[in-house]
Amino acid sequence: MAQQSTSSYWELIKNGIIAENTIFRLALSLCPAIAVTGGLRNGVLMGIAVLFVQVMVNVTISMIKGFIHPKIRLPIFMLVISGWVTITDMSMAAFAREAYRQMGLYIQLIVAFASILARAEMFASKNKVTPSMFDGIGMGLGFLFALTTISFFRELLGKGSLWGFPIVDTKPLLIMILPAGGFFAVGILMAFFNWIDSRYLKKKTASH
Amino acid sequence: MTAKDIIKITINLVAIYIIGGLILASVYAKTSPIIFRNAIIEKEEALKKLVPDADSTEKLGDWLIHGKKAEYFAVKKENEIIGYVIQSYGKGYSSYINVLIAVDNDLKVKKIDILSHAETPGLGDEIETDYFKNQFIGKGIENMKLVKTETADYIQAITGVTISCRAVTNDAVKNGLAFLSDTMKEGGKEHGAAKHE
Repeated sequence: MAQQSTSSYWELIKNGIIAENTIFRLALSLCPAIAVTGGLRNGVLMGIAVLFVQVMVNVTISMIKGFIHPKIRLPIFMLVISGWVTITDMSMAAFAREAYRQMGLYIQLIVAFASILARAEMFASKNKVTPSMFDGIGMGLGFLFALTTISFFRELLGKGSLWGFPIVDTKPLLIMILPAGGFFAVGILMAFFNWIDSRYLKKKTASH
Repeated sequence: MTAKDIIKITINLVAIYIIGGLILASVYAKTSPIIFRNAIIEKEEALKKLVPDADSTEKLGDWLIHGKKAEYFAVKKENEIIGYVIQSYGKGYSSYINVLIAVDNDLKVKKIDILSHAETPGLGDEIETDYFKNQFIGKGIENMKLVKTETADYIQAITGVTISCRAVTNDAVKNGLAFLSDTMKEGGKEHGAAKHE
């Protein structure tokens, strides 16, 4: 029994990273995927911030879903999201000054993320607390993975560096760190993951 | 929707928002004094880093920019004023950029530092790079113009960060220097900077 539930939680996490990856599959939250992925460091920090807020929001919504009148669920989701963002922002500014200096900018941006609202609506408001938590972890990790991949290629090609350290000593493609390059990177990676997915799925149906 | 539904929804919404408001208020009450203290510590640290050769800094007063109170200081070494530091704000893309500017007695910039801002990560926060900040060194108010090409006399904007760069250059630093120069002209003698005239 325990085995079974563990594996279903694992499925939820895998689902968030692969099958329903926020950016590559659901195409949600493309704005941050383009705006903050000019450098690897930005992408990773943003991903971590989203992971945390996503888990907290999912857990909270799942806990209070019994009290929410279905007709006004959206304003309440927004309250929970902005509440968690504000709490995280203020507590980090007060108690984790060094970390806040690195991540403060990213946290305030999260309020506007479609991906978090979407998970609250599609999953957390219909499921129990534990599965919602794992869904949040999966979605957050998927977002982190997507942002890391995008920013890895954009910084490497656009600046010739990674995490701010120079790697290749050639003239970089400036377009990659401009917004246009962000669209290219997201589009090409999305196509790549779709291609892998269709191959993988085909094999699976063929073997059946 | 009946009247009963409307009342139920209203109560539900009000109740949850009041709870949310109370939680936020209590977190704010707990954290805001600490955040305030942190900001003062950060300013002091930045001040020390900005003028490492100074023996002491003495606050001369406050001034207003964009409706915000900012401070300015005299920098002293062996009881002689060797320069000034002024705090200033520039209106950026999504926030007010809080800048500290250190100048010598001729009001040429010795160094600037970005204290805080909330510009877009990955773009706007490039104003924190040394590459951008070092451009200000040795320049005076007449050089505070943002241009998009290579320049030795003015400040060059960073690609994709024009608005934030402009806020630092044409707004924060320029206004700060203008205020200092006006103040020195009026009360210059007592601050020992009369030779600027």
